[in-house]
Amino acid sequence: MFSVLTASLVCPILLASLADRVPGIFFGLPLVALASLVFAATHHEDPAEIRFATVHWAVWLGGILGLVLAAVLLLGWFA
Amino acid sequence: MAHARDNQAPPPRIVAVSPDDGSAIDLRNPALAAILSWAVPGLGQIYQGRGFKGRLFMGAILGTFAAGMWLGGGRVVYASWKPGDTRWAFVCQAGAGLVALPAVVQSLQLQGVSKQPLFGSMFMAPPLVAGQYVSRGYAERLAASDPDIDAEDFFDRPPLKQFRGEQVSHWHRRLGRWFDIGTLYTMLAGMLNLLVIYDAWAGPLGTPTDEDRKARSKRT
Repeated sequence: MFSVLTASLVCPILLASLADRVPGIFFGLPLVALASLVFAATHHEDPAEIRFATVHWAVWLGGILGLVLAAVLLLGWFA
Repeated sequence: MAHARDNQAPPPRIVAVSPDDGSAIDLRNPALAAILSWAVPGLGQIYQGRGFKGRLFMGAILGTFAAGMWLGGGRVVYASWKPGDTRWAFVCQAGAGLVALPAVVQSLQLQGVSKQPLFGSMFMAPPLVAGQYVSRGYAERLAASDPDIDAEDFFDRPPLKQFRGEQVSHWHRRLGRWFDIGTLYTMLAGMLNLLVIYDAWAGPLGTPTDEDRKARSKRT
């Protein structure tokens, strides 16, 4: 769990160090991880359950946002 | 008198049920816990004896807020209700608690009689808009320290100075997308803290379904 937390804090710093080479969309990934972690922690008390639910929420959030992104890219491609 | 006190029942404890093992969670004073969790994310949970979650929330919310501030060059959190520069993002950022409070103080200071932010510091100060009056000291400080502003950006209106320009445009030009990314991080930190406040107020969200219980028993 703390690895998720650490990653969500370190990722933006690493990404920022690469500055303009990184597409802005990747800055959303730490936010997905963070939202998943907070969602999970507000639904559970046990650390193991929080860890499991974090992955669960991250998959769902990432999947839904990925689908939306794919739809937008496809629309942009065909437009 | 002592007899009456002995017979007095202890005040009822407000508890929530853990969705994981069904154990009781003592919420102590939920209103106080919620206020503490707004002031410092996770502090309400720590007050309730849920130290692990409290520290987790504190690190996650404050870390994201700090990361957003850093990515946005320290300019993304400010309170401004001036026509043409209404900062709606601050409504979300304020959810992160006391860390966003200096923005309110700075905004009030710049509107007040002193026409300069607290201690003359630009930290969380709202950007100047065209025609805004500021103290001479603050104008000189800005001209000396802000790379985008020089002395000619102010009209001399003794005893004050009047800004001619839009400082937020300078910030956007200099920071580019980092301004938006930083704003997004700090906004999300504030919004996620609303969940943390609710968790302190009423305990864990939701109740486990039968499927959850089956999945859990399978894992264990």
